[in-house]
Amino acid sequence: MRSRVVAVAFAAVAVAAAVLLARPPAHGARPYEGTTIRAVVNAEYVKYSLSLVEQDLYDKLGVKLETEVIPLDAFVSKTLLEFNGGGSPWDLIMFGPSNMPDYGRHFEPLEPWIQKLKLDFQMDDIVPVFAKVMLRYQGKLVSMPYDGDIHIMYWNRPAFERPDNQKKFKAKYGYDLKPPKTWKQWDTAAEFFSGWGWDGTDKKLFGAGASYKPSGSGYSYHWWRSRFFSYGGQYFDKDMKPLVNTAAGVRALEEMVRTMPYYPPGVMLFESEEPKTLLVKGEVPMLYSWTSTGKRVGNRDESVIVGKAGFGLVPGAEIDGKIVNRPAITPGRGMAVSIYSKKKEATMKVLEFISLPDQSLKIVMDPKTIMDPWRLSHLKSPVFRKAFPDADKYLDAIEATFPFLVPDPVIPAADEYQRKLSFEITEALAKRKSPKDALDTAAAEWEKITERRGRDKQKAQWGEKLAEMKSLGIEYHADWAAKAK
Amino acid sequence: MAIALERPRVAAARLKRSRLRRRVGAVLTWVGVAAALVFFLAPFFWIVTTSLKGNEDFFAYPPVWIPLDASLKHYVGLFTRSSGARYFTNSMVISSLSMLAALVVSLPTAYSIARWRFGGGLLSTLLLVLRMLPAIALIIPVYIMYKLLGLTNSYLGLVMLYTVVYIPFAVWLLVGFLRDFPIEIEEAAMIDGCSRLGSLVRVVVPIIAPGMAVVALFAFIATWNEFLFAVVLTGIETKTMMVLVTSFTSGGTDMFYGEASASVVLGVLPAFAVAFMLQRYLVKGLALGGTKG
Repeated sequence: MRSRVVAVAFAAVAVAAAVLLARPPAHGARPYEGTTIRAVVNAEYVKYSLSLVEQDLYDKLGVKLETEVIPLDAFVSKTLLEFNGGGSPWDLIMFGPSNMPDYGRHFEPLEPWIQKLKLDFQMDDIVPVFAKVMLRYQGKLVSMPYDGDIHIMYWNRPAFERPDNQKKFKAKYGYDLKPPKTWKQWDTAAEFFSGWGWDGTDKKLFGAGASYKPSGSGYSYHWWRSRFFSYGGQYFDKDMKPLVNTAAGVRALEEMVRTMPYYPPGVMLFESEEPKTLLVKGEVPMLYSWTSTGKRVGNRDESVIVGKAGFGLVPGAEIDGKIVNRPAITPGRGMAVSIYSKKKEATMKVLEFISLPDQSLKIVMDPKTIMDPWRLSHLKSPVFRKAFPDADKYLDAIEATFPFLVPDPVIPAADEYQRKLSFEITEALAKRKSPKDALDTAAAEWEKITERRGRDKQKAQWGEKLAEMKSLGIEYHADWAAKAK
Repeated sequence: MAIALERPRVAAARLKRSRLRRRVGAVLTWVGVAAALVFFLAPFFWIVTTSLKGNEDFFAYPPVWIPLDASLKHYVGLFTRSSGARYFTNSMVISSLSMLAALVVSLPTAYSIARWRFGGGLLSTLLLVLRMLPAIALIIPVYIMYKLLGLTNSYLGLVMLYTVVYIPFAVWLLVGFLRDFPIEIEEAAMIDGCSRLGSLVRVVVPIIAPGMAVVALFAFIATWNEFLFAVVLTGIETKTMMVLVTSFTSGGTDMFYGEASASVVLGVLPAFAVAFMLQRYLVKGLALGGTKG
């Protein structure tokens, strides 16, 4: 009896050993088993977005992610403090592409690793404008997009289509009520819709939505920028003389100040989410904002305009009979590998993995993230195109916007330039300064930053960006502000 | 005679008027108090209820003041997905240790200044000057120093820093209590066989406990709420609750209103609990201060 038990036990051990040996080695299945990669991001919702791919990442590579969140307003200073101190506790870094000149030297170039590890970032699938302006430092590829932030326009279709509204509008302004194509039409529509129940109720609703809070790198700055560039504006001339206070800048800001009464009270405290909420609750008829807004528009839990929203290009200016649209890249997120990482190989694999079309699609498609599409395949994904009613129209509007995008001034101290300008724009919106005075002050502040950073160094970097923007068709036109309709 | 008859009537009318005035005064006071309470507590009430609401109630119109199906799922999410437990523990440990360290260091310092004018007035002035330095002016040098000493991302580094920052306030407060404390009681204890340290611990401390409670409360709440040093000097292992709260509430909350509200509630509650526990001493301390003069 005893020997039989021993024999059975031996047999069981032998079978178990055979099964174990027959399985592929764990190393092959999860080549980096036991490795933990430290990532740093600037908000909890970004951490959440990474959690969407964590399990697949572990199953494929055996890598675990440990994500540190540094709040948005402290992110740039804290991370640069670590980097400039000659090290970093992080392997994978999220950053704002407009800050590339300050971060770039701390990022590991990707090309040598692409060759060494046979990585495939599927560069041809990246939206061309992002590939052109977001990923390189001194000509070297150092990062991948993570969030394709741009602005598109949204409108409440019933507000524009109600016969009563159309009749009233035509009687008042003499032309048909349609989603605006120009800033003039936008401002007129905002005036028309402001202060009454355009949804057929007795409510006092608002004319349009916007975010004018000067926090972070500046919301009001993003809203001003689209008008400024379509009136022929440019950040600097070739000698780094600021052009923000030229006629284009002043006209853009004067229009924003004049139309303030048509926006909801508190608009100067609004960050990204407040106007989105007003749009999806049917309290503003139109808004131009981040592309993540579309996912909230299609979210039945909160939106009253599911299947009733329009999606399109941010308005522009009519110049010589042609409409010039200049929507903004605002500002996006990228991911890069720290040059100080001790786990560069594994981190490179992680970067490749989270950038794969199917993995990144999970991130940009989830309604709880505010990550936006940045691959062409995201826009063509059948799943995404059916994710909510009219999702296909929403994705088409994003695609239609790409050729017209204007990047941030991607030079050293970009964040500082933007903050100063944003502050002054808000000063004008609050009527503490005239638009001209505010922009003159901003220009003077920009000059100070340029001097402090070294004019020649800044000029050299700006020269590259100027050429890049020219190749995108963005140039300074001093006469456009006067003739724009 | 007429005047004599008139007097009680006038007095009664006066009494009535005065009663009426008092009643109106009381009503106005209560209305004022209620308005102030609503003004200050309504935002907190809204945050608490939002932390208990489902996602569909965040934007409901008319607003959902009290959720019918309240749940703790946002708190659970905060603790599971957002490492809330780690941040909460870090804040508790760092705040408690800083509070204890501030008390342990400041009591003997204050005692020596109060009893022997240690430092000849210069020390206490110097301490006050330290308090006047804004944190933002210190952050870069402190960061560089900590980086060199390997103290970033450590409990020790943060506790040391907070202790140093709170000592001036603690010492100045305790010096006041100790100067008012009759030296004769201490001398009597020493005549009875106590050492200097023994009389400090056994006799002085129990009597100036309200003052020490104020110091403890201040150190705990200030550490709990501190953000600048916490965000710069911590890493993933030592991040505090205030950093978590800010990472939810800055830069758009998107769909995480529930977790953001839960983080605010958790960010406030411990400080509130400590204040509540020490309230008895606090009132005594304030009352003692009020009779000086």
